[in-house]
Amino acid sequence: MIVTKRKQLDEIAAYIDSYKKFFLIGCYECASLCGTGDEVAIMTLKDWLHKEGKSVTGWFIAKTGCQILGTKKEISAYRELIEEAECIMVLSCGAGTQTLVEFFEGKPVIPVNDTLFIGNMRRFRDFEERCRACGECFLAITGVCVVTLCPKSMLNGPCGGYKDGKCEVNKERKCAWIIAFSILERKNLVEKFYESLLGPKDWSKANSPRTLAREK
Amino acid sequence: MSLLREKLLKGDFVITVEITPPKGPDVTKLVDKLHELKPLVDAVNFTDNPSAKMRMCSMAACKLSLDLGFEPVLQMSCRDRNRLAIQSDLLGAHALGVRNLLVMTGDHPVWGDHKEAKPVYDIDSSILVNLVQKLNDGFDINGNNLNGKTDFFFGATVNPVAEPLLPQLKRFEQKLKMGAQFFQTQMIFDVERLEMFMEYANKFAPKVIAGVVMIRNKKMLQFLSSKVPGAVVPKSLMEKVENMTDEDIAKFGVEMAASIIFEIIERRLCQGVHIMAFSKVQEVKDLLNLIEKRV
Repeated sequence: MIVTKRKQLDEIAAYIDSYKKFFLIGCYECASLCGTGDEVAIMTLKDWLHKEGKSVTGWFIAKTGCQILGTKKEISAYRELIEEAECIMVLSCGAGTQTLVEFFEGKPVIPVNDTLFIGNMRRFRDFEERCRACGECFLAITGVCVVTLCPKSMLNGPCGGYKDGKCEVNKERKCAWIIAFSILERKNLVEKFYESLLGPKDWSKANSPRTLAREK
Repeated sequence: MSLLREKLLKGDFVITVEITPPKGPDVTKLVDKLHELKPLVDAVNFTDNPSAKMRMCSMAACKLSLDLGFEPVLQMSCRDRNRLAIQSDLLGAHALGVRNLLVMTGDHPVWGDHKEAKPVYDIDSSILVNLVQKLNDGFDINGNNLNGKTDFFFGATVNPVAEPLLPQLKRFEQKLKMGAQFFQTQMIFDVERLEMFMEYANKFAPKVIAGVVMIRNKKMLQFLSSKVPGAVVPKSLMEKVENMTDEDIAKFGVEMAASIIFEIIERRLCQGVHIMAFSKVQEVKDLLNLIEKRV
């Protein structure tokens, strides 16, 4: 999922300083799993806005905020409440926020969250980054994503910086390549892996902005 | 021309030192140091923003050294340059007369004084070794023709004290296969660890230069142990210096480095030593004096 984290309130306060009336939009997908776009998150923000002397004209939670047409259809039921608001606050990822930016050219659309990474949930709302969306997946070869989990994106084995198998960048974390290497060992594939060089990686596959069109 | 290559290929023992280029535009001290070290060692390595701390570039320091007739080794890491910048810098260095290279992945920016910098790591050090081999064959990384072949004598790094060791050994083999002509090791405090590595490495007959460091005080030892990625200070050494004064440690540090080097030479464990940065010229002189006496 796309992992998000609510911004600090003082940062949000600075963005909305000149507005009084708000409409809030959450998202039932990743942001709800992260607790940054569900009903609780919306109510918390609403309470805070009230304490700041602001008012909320209404709110709703989009089924999938990044699905442009679906969200457009859902939002039509709230048109009047949105008209009444001076500013729209979005509790989703950056993609969802931009769905709303497209709809309301005349109104400020403020992101409540920072979008952090593509990750997995280990325990309730404990997230780990697992994928950098690099466009060229090597998981079939390396077992774990070394492009993401290795801070240096080493493709051919560990650097020389690990100590007792722990990453030089974060001592709490096992070196991604020590994990990948043990997977290769378990599969008896170490020798085969080192028969050739992995990479250089084609980073052009990660050149932003990317699009993907439906195959006709 | 590379004297380092000639000596290593001939089977001679080499001694190299490491200098960190200055933090700032003033090269007076650097040039003084080069004058003093030149008669003492075979070549001088210039580090590439070591520990991700911003310094003058290795290439400029290499040029200053070449102008003094002191053979440099240009160190290049994958941290700060993408493949375009790496190749164009290498061609530039070659045009300036640089022939020796030591290539490595490079410490992560979290260790440095620009923690906010975007780490590049477009390619890793195995790919970089392969890239230099291609330049020497007259091609860029994509196989496009160059208007000539470079003549680099290029080495890679290996960490014989890494735990677990096997992944390091496989990468060592890979770099060798990709064309690395010599290897420089992470700092060695424990000759036994070097010996274990060489037992494995020797079947490939590589040219290995062992990294040696002269410890000066407890603070430095702590620094090496906790702030230098991949460096391992043995517990026994920590305990040994525990009750020593810093003055005694400095003396002991030179003697310890000398006996490590002496043992390497006497037992022909590998083909050279590299005196890592953090050293003062006088310490290098003291060290080399001690070795000369014993050899």
